[in-house]
Amino acid sequence: MDHITICRCEEVTLEDIKNTAKKYQCSAREIKLRTRAGMGYCGGRTCRPAVDAVMEQVTGEKPGHDIPLKVQPPVRPVSLATLRGMQDDK
Amino acid sequence: MYDVIIVGAGPAGLSAAITCREWDLHVLVIDEFVKPGGRLLGQLHEEPNGEWWNGIEETKQLMDKAESLNTDIRCGISAHHLEKVKDHHFIVHTNKGNFEAKNLLIATGAAETAAPVPGWTLPGVMSIGAAQVMTNVHRVRVGEKGIVIGVNVLSAAIARELQLAGVNLHSMMLPAMNSVTKEHAHPKKVMDGLSRIAHLAPSAFLRFGSRFTKSDFVRKLATQFYPKSGVKMWGMPIHLRKAVTEINGKDRVESVTVFDITADGKLIKGTERRIEVDFVCIAGGLYPLAELAAVIGLPFQYLEELGGHVPVHNKKMETPIDGVYVAGNITGIESAKVARAQGTVAGLSIAKKHVDGKADLDYRLLKAIEQVKTIRNEATIQFHPHISEGREKIEQAFRRIVHS
Ligand SMILES: Cc1cc2nc3c(=O)[nH]c(=O)nc-3n(C[C@H](O)[C@H](O)[C@H](O)COP(=O)(O)OP(=O)(O)OC[C@H]3O[C@@H](n4cnc5c(N)ncnc54)[C@H](O)[C@@H]3O)c2cc1C
Repeated sequence: MDHITICRCEEVTLEDIKNTAKKYQCSAREIKLRTRAGMGYCGGRTCRPAVDAVMEQVTGEKPGHDIPLKVQPPVRPVSLATLRGMQDDK
Repeated sequence: MYDVIIVGAGPAGLSAAITCREWDLHVLVIDEFVKPGGRLLGQLHEEPNGEWWNGIEETKQLMDKAESLNTDIRCGISAHHLEKVKDHHFIVHTNKGNFEAKNLLIATGAAETAAPVPGWTLPGVMSIGAAQVMTNVHRVRVGEKGIVIGVNVLSAAIARELQLAGVNLHSMMLPAMNSVTKEHAHPKKVMDGLSRIAHLAPSAFLRFGSRFTKSDFVRKLATQFYPKSGVKMWGMPIHLRKAVTEINGKDRVESVTVFDITADGKLIKGTERRIEVDFVCIAGGLYPLAELAAVIGLPFQYLEELGGHVPVHNKKMETPIDGVYVAGNITGIESAKVARAQGTVAGLSIAKKHVDGKADLDYRLLKAIEQVKTIRNEATIQFHPHISEGREKIEQAFRRIVHS
Protein backbone atom coordinates (compact mmCIF):
# COMPACT_ATOMS: atom_id res chain seq x y z
CA MET A 1 0.00 0.00 0.00
CA ASP A 2 2.87 2.39 0.80
CA HIS A 3 3.73 2.96 -2.83
CA ILE A 4 0.49 4.85 -3.49
CA THR A 5 0.83 8.39 -4.64
CA ILE A 6 -0.84 10.79 -2.22
CA CYS A 7 0.07 14.14 -3.77
CA ARG A 8 -0.17 13.83 -7.53
CA CYS A 9 1.26 17.19 -8.55
CA GLU A 10 4.50 16.69 -6.62
CA GLU A 11 4.41 12.88 -6.90
CA VAL A 12 4.76 12.24 -3.18
CA THR A 13 3.99 8.70 -2.02
CA LEU A 14 2.67 7.46 1.29
CA GLU A 15 6.11 5.89 1.78
CA ASP A 16 7.86 9.27 1.28
CA ILE A 17 5.65 10.82 3.94
CA LYS A 18 6.11 7.95 6.40
CA ASN A 19 9.88 7.90 5.90
CA THR A 20 10.15 11.65 6.39
CA ALA A 21 8.07 11.46 9.55
CA LYS A 22 10.26 8.68 10.91
CA LYS A 23 13.57 10.28 10.00
CA TYR A 24 12.86 13.79 11.29
CA GLN A 25 10.22 13.06 13.98
CA CYS A 26 8.62 16.33 12.90
CA SER A 27 5.27 18.11 12.67
CA ALA A 28 2.80 17.76 9.80
CA ARG A 29 3.82 21.20 8.60
CA GLU A 30 7.48 20.25 8.45
CA ILE A 31 6.70 17.02 6.61
CA LYS A 32 4.79 19.04 4.08
CA LEU A 33 7.69 21.44 3.58
CA ARG A 34 10.21 18.62 3.30
CA THR A 35 8.21 16.43 0.90
CA ARG A 36 6.25 19.22 -0.84
CA ALA A 37 3.06 17.16 -0.41
CA GLY A 38 0.10 19.44 -1.11
CA MET A 39 2.31 22.24 -2.45
CA GLY A 40 2.03 21.61 -6.16
CA TYR A 41 0.10 23.08 -9.05
CA CYS A 42 -3.39 22.36 -7.70
CA GLY A 43 -2.59 24.15 -4.45
CA GLY A 44 -3.66 21.08 -2.52
CA ARG A 45 -7.26 21.16 -3.72
CA THR A 46 -7.06 17.53 -4.82
CA CYS A 47 -4.99 16.01 -2.06
CA ARG A 48 -5.48 18.28 0.97
CA PRO A 49 -7.88 15.96 2.85
CA ALA A 50 -5.73 12.93 1.98
CA VAL A 51 -2.50 14.66 3.04
CA ASP A 52 -4.19 15.81 6.26
CA ALA A 53 -5.37 12.25 6.97
CA VAL A 54 -1.95 10.74 6.39
CA MET A 55 -0.27 13.43 8.49
CA GLU A 56 -2.72 12.80 11.30
CA GLN A 57 -1.91 9.12 11.16
CA VAL A 58 1.88 9.45 11.05
CA THR A 59 2.27 12.33 13.54
CA GLY A 60 -0.75 11.68 15.78
CA GLU A 61 -1.73 15.38 15.51
CA LYS A 62 -5.52 15.63 15.73
CA PRO A 63 -7.35 17.98 13.37
CA GLY A 64 -7.93 21.27 15.20
CA HIS A 65 -10.19 24.12 14.24
CA ASP A 66 -7.42 25.86 12.31
CA ILE A 67 -6.90 24.59 8.79
CA PRO A 68 -4.00 22.17 9.39
CA LEU A 69 -1.83 22.97 6.40
CA LYS A 70 -2.39 26.67 6.08
CA VAL A 71 -3.77 28.03 2.82
CA GLN A 72 -1.68 30.71 1.09
CA PRO A 73 -2.57 33.01 -1.78
CA PRO A 74 -2.65 32.65 -4.71
CA VAL A 75 -5.14 29.78 -4.35
CA ARG A 76 -5.13 29.20 -8.11
CA PRO A 77 -2.16 28.85 -10.46
CA VAL A 78 -1.56 32.32 -11.92
CA SER A 79 1.12 33.73 -14.17
CA LEU A 80 3.81 35.94 -12.70
CA ALA A 81 2.53 38.79 -14.87
CA THR A 82 -0.87 38.50 -13.15
CA LEU A 83 0.78 38.41 -9.77
CA ARG A 84 2.80 41.50 -10.63
CA GLY A 85 -0.50 43.21 -11.39
CA MET A 86 -1.52 42.27 -7.87
CA GLN A 87 1.55 44.10 -6.51
CA ASP A 88 0.96 47.23 -8.61
CA ASP A 89 -2.48 47.67 -7.15
CA LYS A 90 -1.31 47.89 -3.59
CA MET B 1 -16.68 50.08 -6.62
CA TYR B 2 -19.35 47.34 -6.45
CA ASP B 3 -21.74 47.08 -3.52
CA VAL B 4 -21.04 43.37 -3.54
CA ILE B 5 -18.89 40.88 -5.43
CA ILE B 6 -20.10 37.30 -5.32
CA VAL B 7 -17.51 34.58 -5.93
CA GLY B 8 -19.26 31.49 -7.30
CA ALA B 9 -22.29 31.26 -9.59
CA GLY B 10 -23.75 28.06 -8.14
CA PRO B 11 -27.25 27.96 -6.63
CA ALA B 12 -26.07 29.92 -3.56
CA GLY B 13 -24.28 32.68 -5.48
CA LEU B 14 -27.00 33.05 -8.10
CA SER B 15 -29.88 33.27 -5.65
CA ALA B 16 -27.93 35.80 -3.57
CA ALA B 17 -27.27 37.84 -6.71
CA ILE B 18 -30.96 37.82 -7.60
CA THR B 19 -31.91 39.05 -4.13
CA CYS B 20 -29.26 41.79 -4.20
CA ARG B 21 -30.46 42.92 -7.62
CA GLU B 22 -34.06 42.99 -6.42
CA TRP B 23 -32.89 45.61 -3.93
CA ASP B 24 -31.00 47.36 -6.68
CA LEU B 25 -27.48 46.81 -5.41
CA HIS B 26 -24.51 47.11 -7.76
CA VAL B 27 -23.50 43.46 -8.09
CA LEU B 28 -20.78 41.48 -9.85
CA VAL B 29 -20.84 37.68 -9.91
CA ILE B 30 -17.70 35.82 -11.02
CA ASP B 31 -17.22 32.11 -11.64
CA GLU B 32 -14.20 30.24 -12.91
CA PHE B 33 -16.16 27.65 -14.88
CA VAL B 34 -17.26 28.30 -18.47
CA LYS B 35 -20.94 28.48 -17.53
CA PRO B 36 -22.94 29.53 -14.49
CA GLY B 37 -24.80 26.99 -12.34
CA GLY B 38 -21.99 25.42 -10.32
CA ARG B 39 -22.62 21.83 -9.24
CA LEU B 40 -26.27 22.22 -10.04
CA LEU B 41 -25.47 21.67 -13.72
CA GLY B 42 -24.70 17.98 -13.30
CA GLN B 43 -27.65 17.05 -11.09
CA LEU B 44 -30.48 14.76 -12.09
CA HIS B 45 -32.53 12.79 -9.55
CA GLU B 46 -36.00 11.43 -9.19
CA GLU B 47 -37.58 12.64 -5.97
CA PRO B 48 -39.72 10.29 -3.85
CA ASN B 49 -42.88 12.01 -5.17
CA GLY B 50 -41.88 11.01 -8.70
CA GLU B 51 -40.82 14.48 -9.82
CA TRP B 52 -37.42 14.98 -11.40
CA TRP B 53 -34.84 17.41 -10.10
CA ASN B 54 -33.06 18.54 -13.24
CA GLY B 55 -30.11 20.81 -12.47
CA ILE B 56 -29.91 22.27 -15.96
CA GLU B 57 -33.56 23.37 -15.74
CA GLU B 58 -33.03 24.75 -12.24
CA THR B 59 -30.01 26.71 -13.44
CA LYS B 60 -31.98 28.10 -16.36
CA GLN B 61 -34.69 29.38 -14.03
CA LEU B 62 -32.14 31.11 -11.83
CA MET B 63 -30.36 32.58 -14.85
CA ASP B 64 -33.61 33.83 -16.44
CA LYS B 65 -34.44 35.60 -13.22
CA ALA B 66 -30.92 37.04 -12.86
CA GLU B 67 -30.94 38.23 -16.47
CA SER B 68 -34.34 39.87 -16.13
CA LEU B 69 -32.73 41.92 -13.33
CA ASN B 70 -29.70 42.79 -15.50
CA THR B 71 -27.26 40.95 -13.26
CA ASP B 72 -23.60 41.16 -14.27
CA ILE B 73 -22.40 37.53 -14.26
CA ARG B 74 -18.98 36.78 -15.70
CA CYS B 75 -17.63 33.28 -16.27
CA GLY B 76 -14.06 32.14 -16.79
CA ILE B 77 -12.83 34.41 -14.00
CA SER B 78 -10.93 32.74 -11.21
CA ALA B 79 -10.37 34.48 -7.87
CA HIS B 80 -6.99 33.64 -6.37
CA HIS B 81 -6.89 36.04 -3.44
CA LEU B 82 -9.26 38.18 -1.38
CA GLU B 83 -7.92 41.14 0.49
CA LYS B 84 -9.39 43.56 2.99
CA VAL B 85 -8.08 47.09 2.46
CA LYS B 86 -10.16 48.70 5.19
CA ASP B 87 -13.69 48.46 6.53
CA HIS B 88 -16.05 47.81 3.64
CA HIS B 89 -13.35 47.96 1.05
CA PHE B 90 -12.23 44.65 -0.38
CA ILE B 91 -10.15 43.63 -3.38
CA VAL B 92 -10.82 40.45 -5.33
CA HIS B 93 -7.69 39.36 -7.19
CA THR B 94 -8.44 37.36 -10.32
CA ASN B 95 -6.81 36.10 -13.48
CA LYS B 96 -8.63 38.95 -15.27
CA GLY B 97 -7.48 41.75 -12.99
CA ASN B 98 -8.66 43.14 -9.68
CA PHE B 99 -12.17 44.15 -8.68
CA GLU B 100 -13.20 46.24 -5.70
CA ALA B 101 -16.30 45.99 -3.55
CA LYS B 102 -17.83 47.12 -0.28
CA ASN B 103 -19.02 43.58 0.50
CA LEU B 104 -17.99 40.08 -0.47
CA LEU B 105 -19.99 36.91 -0.66
CA ILE B 106 -17.93 33.73 -0.86
CA ALA B 107 -20.08 30.99 -2.40
CA THR B 108 -17.43 28.64 -3.76
CA GLY B 109 -19.23 25.38 -2.92
CA ALA B 110 -17.58 22.05 -2.22
CA ALA B 111 -14.74 19.95 -3.59
CA GLU B 112 -14.31 16.21 -3.71
CA THR B 113 -12.11 14.37 -1.25
CA ALA B 114 -9.68 12.12 -3.06
CA ALA B 115 -9.59 8.56 -1.74
CA PRO B 116 -6.28 7.31 -3.07
CA VAL B 117 -6.19 3.65 -4.09
CA PRO B 118 -3.02 2.16 -5.62
CA GLY B 119 -3.21 2.85 -9.36
CA TRP B 120 -5.46 5.90 -9.00
CA THR B 121 -3.16 7.99 -11.20
CA LEU B 122 -3.79 5.81 -14.29
CA PRO B 123 -5.72 7.38 -17.17
CA GLY B 124 -9.32 6.16 -16.93
CA VAL B 125 -9.55 6.77 -13.20
CA MET B 126 -11.65 9.79 -12.25
CA SER B 127 -13.56 11.16 -9.33
CA ILE B 128 -17.27 10.40 -9.32
CA GLY B 129 -17.96 14.13 -9.74
CA ALA B 130 -15.82 14.24 -12.87
CA ALA B 131 -17.90 11.39 -14.29
CA GLN B 132 -21.02 13.41 -13.48
CA VAL B 133 -19.73 16.53 -15.22
CA MET B 134 -18.52 14.59 -18.28
CA THR B 135 -21.84 12.79 -18.58
CA ASN B 136 -24.39 15.48 -17.78
CA VAL B 137 -22.60 18.72 -18.63
CA HIS B 138 -20.19 17.86 -21.45
CA ARG B 139 -22.14 14.83 -22.73
CA VAL B 140 -19.02 12.71 -23.12
CA ARG B 141 -19.13 8.96 -22.57
CA VAL B 142 -16.71 8.15 -19.75
CA GLY B 143 -15.99 4.60 -20.92
CA GLU B 144 -17.46 1.25 -21.89
CA LYS B 145 -17.58 -0.54 -18.58
CA GLY B 146 -16.67 0.83 -15.19
CA ILE B 147 -16.76 0.33 -11.48
CA VAL B 148 -17.47 2.79 -8.67
CA ILE B 149 -15.16 2.70 -5.64
CA GLY B 150 -16.79 4.26 -2.59
CA VAL B 151 -20.41 3.85 -1.56
CA ASN B 152 -22.12 7.00 -0.30
CA VAL B 153 -25.03 9.33 -1.02
CA LEU B 154 -23.22 11.13 -3.80
CA SER B 155 -21.82 8.08 -5.56
CA ALA B 156 -25.18 6.29 -5.48
CA ALA B 157 -26.94 9.33 -6.96
CA ILE B 158 -24.32 9.78 -9.67
CA ALA B 159 -24.12 6.04 -10.45
CA ARG B 160 -27.84 6.28 -11.20
CA GLU B 161 -27.22 9.24 -13.52
CA LEU B 162 -24.55 7.28 -15.38
CA GLN B 163 -26.97 4.37 -15.74
CA LEU B 164 -29.66 6.67 -17.09
CA ALA B 165 -27.16 7.95 -19.65
CA GLY B 166 -26.54 4.37 -20.78
CA VAL B 167 -23.11 3.95 -19.21
CA ASN B 168 -22.41 0.38 -18.13
CA LEU B 169 -21.41 -0.01 -14.48
CA HIS B 170 -20.26 -3.38 -13.16
CA SER B 171 -20.97 -2.55 -9.51
CA MET B 172 -20.17 -0.28 -6.60
CA MET B 173 -17.84 -1.41 -3.84
CA LEU B 174 -15.56 -0.09 -1.11
CA PRO B 175 -11.93 0.96 -1.32
CA ALA B 176 -9.56 -1.29 0.63
CA MET B 177 -8.65 0.16 3.99
CA ASN B 178 -5.53 2.34 4.08
CA SER B 179 -4.30 5.48 5.87
CA VAL B 180 -6.60 7.69 3.87
CA THR B 181 -9.72 5.74 3.00
CA LYS B 182 -10.59 5.02 6.66
CA GLU B 183 -14.37 5.23 7.19
CA HIS B 184 -15.05 4.85 3.46
CA ALA B 185 -13.52 1.39 3.76
CA HIS B 186 -15.48 0.32 6.84
CA PRO B 187 -18.65 -1.64 6.00
CA LYS B 188 -20.50 -0.70 9.19
CA LYS B 189 -19.83 3.04 8.78
CA VAL B 190 -20.77 2.89 5.13
CA MET B 191 -23.98 1.09 6.05
CA ASP B 192 -24.82 3.91 8.47
CA GLY B 193 -24.54 6.34 5.58
CA LEU B 194 -26.44 4.12 3.18
CA SER B 195 -29.49 3.75 5.33
CA ARG B 196 -30.01 7.46 4.66
CA ILE B 197 -30.29 7.00 0.92
CA ALA B 198 -32.61 4.03 1.02
CA HIS B 199 -35.39 6.27 -0.29
CA LEU B 200 -33.41 6.96 -3.45
CA ALA B 201 -33.91 3.41 -4.59
CA PRO B 202 -37.56 2.70 -5.03
CA SER B 203 -37.46 -1.09 -5.03
CA ALA B 204 -34.99 -3.48 -3.50
CA PHE B 205 -32.97 -1.06 -1.49
CA LEU B 206 -35.96 0.52 0.13
CA ARG B 207 -37.14 -2.80 1.43
CA PHE B 208 -33.68 -3.85 2.39
CA GLY B 209 -32.43 -0.48 3.60
CA SER B 210 -35.27 0.93 5.62
CA ARG B 211 -35.01 -1.91 8.09
CA PHE B 212 -31.47 -0.81 8.91
CA THR B 213 -32.28 2.74 9.78
CA LYS B 214 -33.95 1.65 13.01
CA SER B 215 -31.17 0.54 15.27
CA ASP B 216 -27.44 0.39 15.43
CA PHE B 217 -27.64 -3.28 16.36
CA VAL B 218 -29.59 -4.14 13.24
CA ARG B 219 -27.09 -2.29 11.11
CA LYS B 220 -24.28 -4.26 12.69
CA LEU B 221 -26.09 -7.48 11.91
CA ALA B 222 -26.78 -6.30 8.40
CA THR B 223 -23.11 -5.75 7.67
CA GLN B 224 -22.33 -9.11 9.22
CA PHE B 225 -24.76 -10.94 6.97
CA TYR B 226 -24.55 -8.69 3.94
CA PRO B 227 -25.49 -10.76 0.89
CA LYS B 228 -22.55 -12.14 -1.11
CA SER B 229 -24.03 -11.01 -4.38
CA GLY B 230 -24.50 -7.48 -3.05
CA VAL B 231 -27.75 -5.58 -2.86
CA LYS B 232 -29.10 -4.42 -6.16
CA MET B 233 -30.06 -0.84 -6.71
CA TRP B 234 -31.66 -0.27 -10.12
CA GLY B 235 -30.18 -3.60 -11.19
CA MET B 236 -26.64 -2.65 -10.20
CA PRO B 237 -25.01 -4.54 -7.30
CA ILE B 238 -23.75 -2.54 -4.33
CA HIS B 239 -21.15 -4.50 -2.40
CA LEU B 240 -20.26 -3.62 1.17
CA ARG B 241 -18.23 -6.76 1.77
CA LYS B 242 -15.94 -6.43 -1.22
CA ALA B 243 -13.11 -3.96 -1.63
CA VAL B 244 -10.81 -2.82 -4.41
CA THR B 245 -7.14 -3.11 -3.43
CA GLU B 246 -5.59 -1.96 -6.67
CA ILE B 247 -6.37 -0.48 -10.06
CA ASN B 248 -4.33 -2.22 -12.75
CA GLY B 249 -3.20 -1.36 -16.23
CA LYS B 250 -0.14 -0.45 -18.27
CA ASP B 251 -0.96 2.88 -19.87
CA ARG B 252 -4.60 3.01 -18.84
CA VAL B 253 -7.14 1.21 -16.68
CA GLU B 254 -7.54 -2.44 -17.62
CA SER B 255 -8.89 -4.05 -14.45
CA VAL B 256 -9.30 -3.78 -10.70
CA THR B 257 -8.20 -6.28 -8.04
CA VAL B 258 -10.95 -7.15 -5.58
CA PHE B 259 -11.03 -8.99 -2.23
CA ASP B 260 -13.89 -10.04 -0.01
CA ILE B 261 -13.69 -8.20 3.31
CA THR B 262 -14.86 -8.85 6.85
CA ALA B 263 -17.58 -6.77 8.52
CA ASP B 264 -14.87 -4.48 9.88
CA GLY B 265 -13.09 -4.06 6.58
CA LYS B 266 -10.23 -6.58 6.75
CA LEU B 267 -9.23 -8.39 3.57
CA ILE B 268 -10.06 -12.11 3.49
CA LYS B 269 -7.12 -14.15 2.17
CA GLY B 270 -7.64 -16.25 -0.92
CA THR B 271 -10.63 -14.30 -2.23
CA GLU B 272 -8.63 -12.18 -4.67
CA ARG B 273 -9.91 -11.77 -8.21
CA ARG B 274 -9.77 -9.35 -11.11
CA ILE B 275 -12.62 -7.53 -12.77
CA GLU B 276 -12.04 -6.09 -16.22
CA VAL B 277 -13.09 -2.47 -16.57
CA ASP B 278 -11.94 0.46 -18.66
CA PHE B 279 -12.82 3.22 -16.24
CA VAL B 280 -12.99 3.66 -12.48
CA CYS B 281 -14.85 6.33 -10.50
CA ILE B 282 -13.58 7.06 -7.00
CA ALA B 283 -15.98 8.60 -4.51
CA GLY B 284 -14.41 9.93 -1.32
CA GLY B 285 -17.11 12.41 -0.33
CA LEU B 286 -17.19 16.21 -0.34
CA TYR B 287 -15.59 18.95 1.74
CA PRO B 288 -16.32 22.70 1.85
CA LEU B 289 -14.06 24.59 -0.58
CA ALA B 290 -12.98 27.35 1.75
CA GLU B 291 -9.55 28.45 0.49
CA LEU B 292 -10.68 32.03 -0.17
CA ALA B 293 -12.23 32.26 3.29
CA ALA B 294 -8.85 31.18 4.68
CA VAL B 295 -6.77 33.74 2.78
CA ILE B 296 -8.96 36.65 3.87
CA GLY B 297 -8.45 35.56 7.46
CA LEU B 298 -11.81 34.14 8.53
CA PRO B 299 -11.65 31.87 11.58
CA PHE B 300 -12.58 28.21 11.06
CA GLN B 301 -14.22 25.37 12.94
CA TYR B 302 -13.62 21.71 12.21
CA LEU B 303 -17.07 20.12 12.28
CA GLU B 304 -17.49 16.64 10.88
CA GLU B 305 -21.27 17.19 10.77
CA LEU B 306 -20.72 19.90 8.16
CA GLY B 307 -18.11 18.02 6.15
CA GLY B 308 -14.83 19.45 7.50
CA HIS B 309 -13.37 22.91 8.08
CA VAL B 310 -15.98 25.62 7.65
CA PRO B 311 -15.58 29.38 8.06
CA VAL B 312 -17.34 30.70 11.17
CA HIS B 313 -20.67 32.33 10.32
CA ASN B 314 -24.15 32.86 11.73
CA LYS B 315 -27.66 32.11 10.49
CA LYS B 316 -27.72 35.41 8.62
CA MET B 317 -24.65 34.22 6.69
CA GLU B 318 -22.53 36.95 8.25
CA THR B 319 -18.92 36.21 9.26
CA PRO B 320 -16.77 37.80 11.97
CA ILE B 321 -15.33 40.12 9.29
CA ASP B 322 -17.88 42.87 8.73
CA GLY B 323 -18.89 42.92 5.06
CA VAL B 324 -17.82 39.34 4.32
CA TYR B 325 -20.60 36.78 3.87
CA VAL B 326 -20.69 33.07 3.03
CA ALA B 327 -23.45 30.86 1.59
CA GLY B 328 -23.94 27.40 0.14
CA ASN B 329 -21.71 24.37 0.54
CA ILE B 330 -18.76 26.40 1.83
CA THR B 331 -20.79 26.54 5.07
CA GLY B 332 -21.42 22.77 5.17
CA ILE B 333 -22.24 19.99 2.72
CA GLU B 334 -25.95 19.97 1.89
CA SER B 335 -28.20 19.68 -1.13
CA ALA B 336 -28.55 22.33 -3.81
CA LYS B 337 -31.97 23.39 -2.50
CA VAL B 338 -30.45 24.34 0.84
CA ALA B 339 -27.61 26.20 -0.90
CA ARG B 340 -30.12 28.17 -2.95
CA ALA B 341 -32.14 29.11 0.13
CA GLN B 342 -28.96 30.17 1.97
CA GLY B 343 -28.12 32.43 -0.97
CA THR B 344 -31.37 34.30 -0.48
CA VAL B 345 -30.54 34.79 3.21
CA ALA B 346 -27.09 36.16 2.35
CA GLY B 347 -28.59 38.47 -0.27
CA LEU B 348 -31.10 39.88 2.21
CA SER B 349 -28.41 40.34 4.88
CA ILE B 350 -26.30 42.33 2.43
CA ALA B 351 -29.27 44.35 1.15
CA LYS B 352 -30.32 45.19 4.71
CA LYS B 353 -27.13 47.20 5.20
CA HIS B 354 -27.55 49.20 2.04
CA VAL B 355 -31.25 49.86 1.81
CA ASP B 356 -32.40 52.38 4.40
CA GLY B 357 -35.72 52.52 6.20
CA LYS B 358 -37.07 49.27 4.80
CA ALA B 359 -38.14 47.56 8.01
CA ASP B 360 -39.71 44.91 5.81
CA LEU B 361 -36.23 43.51 5.18
CA ASP B 362 -35.85 42.32 8.76
CA TYR B 363 -39.05 40.39 8.41
CA ARG B 364 -38.02 38.93 5.05
CA LEU B 365 -34.67 37.91 6.48
CA LEU B 366 -36.32 36.06 9.34
CA LYS B 367 -38.63 34.32 6.89
CA ALA B 368 -35.72 33.36 4.66
CA ILE B 369 -33.83 31.88 7.63
CA GLU B 370 -36.93 29.85 8.53
CA GLN B 371 -37.14 28.71 4.92
CA VAL B 372 -33.58 27.31 5.04
CA LYS B 373 -34.55 25.22 8.06
CA THR B 374 -37.73 23.94 6.45
CA ILE B 375 -35.88 22.92 3.29
CA ARG B 376 -33.16 21.26 5.36
CA ASN B 377 -35.69 19.20 7.26
CA GLU B 378 -37.43 18.10 4.08
CA ALA B 379 -34.25 17.37 2.14
CA THR B 380 -34.28 14.08 0.27
CA ILE B 381 -30.52 14.18 -0.22
CA GLN B 382 -28.62 14.47 3.01
CA PHE B 383 -24.87 14.15 3.07
CA HIS B 384 -24.27 14.14 6.84
CA PRO B 385 -26.63 12.80 9.49
CA HIS B 386 -26.18 15.45 12.18
CA ILE B 387 -26.30 18.55 10.04
CA SER B 388 -28.57 20.52 12.40
CA GLU B 389 -26.23 19.92 15.35
CA GLY B 390 -23.34 21.12 13.19
CA ARG B 391 -25.30 24.26 12.34
CA GLU B 392 -25.92 24.90 16.02
CA LYS B 393 -22.22 24.52 16.87
CA ILE B 394 -21.10 26.96 14.20
CA GLU B 395 -23.66 29.49 15.42
CA GLN B 396 -22.24 29.19 18.93
CA ALA B 397 -18.70 29.61 17.61
CA PHE B 398 -19.79 32.80 15.87
CA ARG B 399 -21.23 34.19 19.09
CA ARG B 400 -18.10 33.26 21.04
CA ILE B 401 -15.81 34.95 18.55
CA VAL B 402 -17.88 38.08 17.96
CA HIS B 403 -18.52 38.69 21.68
CA SER B 404 -14.97 38.06 22.84
C1 LIG C 1 -18.97 16.66 -7.66
C2 LIG C 1 -20.17 17.11 -6.90
C3 LIG C 1 -21.40 16.54 -7.17
C4 LIG C 1 -22.52 16.93 -6.46
N1 LIG C 1 -23.72 16.33 -6.75
C5 LIG C 1 -24.81 16.68 -6.05
C6 LIG C 1 -26.07 16.08 -6.33
O1 LIG C 1 -26.15 15.21 -7.20
N2 LIG C 1 -27.15 16.49 -5.62
C7 LIG C 1 -27.06 17.46 -4.65
O2 LIG C 1 -28.07 17.85 -4.07
N3 LIG C 1 -25.88 18.02 -4.38
C8 LIG C 1 -24.76 17.66 -5.04
N4 LIG C 1 -23.56 18.25 -4.74
C9 LIG C 1 -23.49 19.20 -3.64
C10 LIG C 1 -23.44 20.59 -4.24
O3 LIG C 1 -22.30 21.18 -3.69
C11 LIG C 1 -24.71 21.36 -3.93
O4 LIG C 1 -25.81 20.71 -4.48
C12 LIG C 1 -24.74 22.78 -4.52
O5 LIG C 1 -24.37 22.81 -5.88
C13 LIG C 1 -23.90 23.73 -3.73
O6 LIG C 1 -24.12 25.02 -4.22
P1 LIG C 1 -23.08 26.18 -4.04
O7 LIG C 1 -23.66 27.37 -4.72
O8 LIG C 1 -22.71 26.27 -2.62
O9 LIG C 1 -21.77 25.68 -4.78
P2 LIG C 1 -21.49 25.17 -6.28
O10 LIG C 1 -22.71 24.74 -6.95
O11 LIG C 1 -20.37 24.23 -6.16
O12 LIG C 1 -20.95 26.49 -6.99
C14 LIG C 1 -19.73 27.09 -6.64
C15 LIG C 1 -19.16 27.82 -7.82
O13 LIG C 1 -18.03 28.56 -7.39
C16 LIG C 1 -17.07 28.55 -8.40
N5 LIG C 1 -15.76 28.81 -7.79
C17 LIG C 1 -15.15 28.11 -6.80
N6 LIG C 1 -13.98 28.67 -6.48
C18 LIG C 1 -13.84 29.75 -7.26
C19 LIG C 1 -12.83 30.75 -7.41
N7 LIG C 1 -11.72 30.74 -6.65
N8 LIG C 1 -13.01 31.72 -8.33
C20 LIG C 1 -14.13 31.76 -9.11
N9 LIG C 1 -15.12 30.84 -9.02
C21 LIG C 1 -14.98 29.86 -8.12
C22 LIG C 1 -17.18 27.17 -9.01
O14 LIG C 1 -16.71 27.19 -10.36
C23 LIG C 1 -18.68 26.89 -8.92
O15 LIG C 1 -19.35 27.18 -10.12
C24 LIG C 1 -22.42 17.91 -5.47
C25 LIG C 1 -21.18 18.50 -5.21
C26 LIG C 1 -20.06 18.13 -5.92
C27 LIG C 1 -18.72 18.78 -5.63
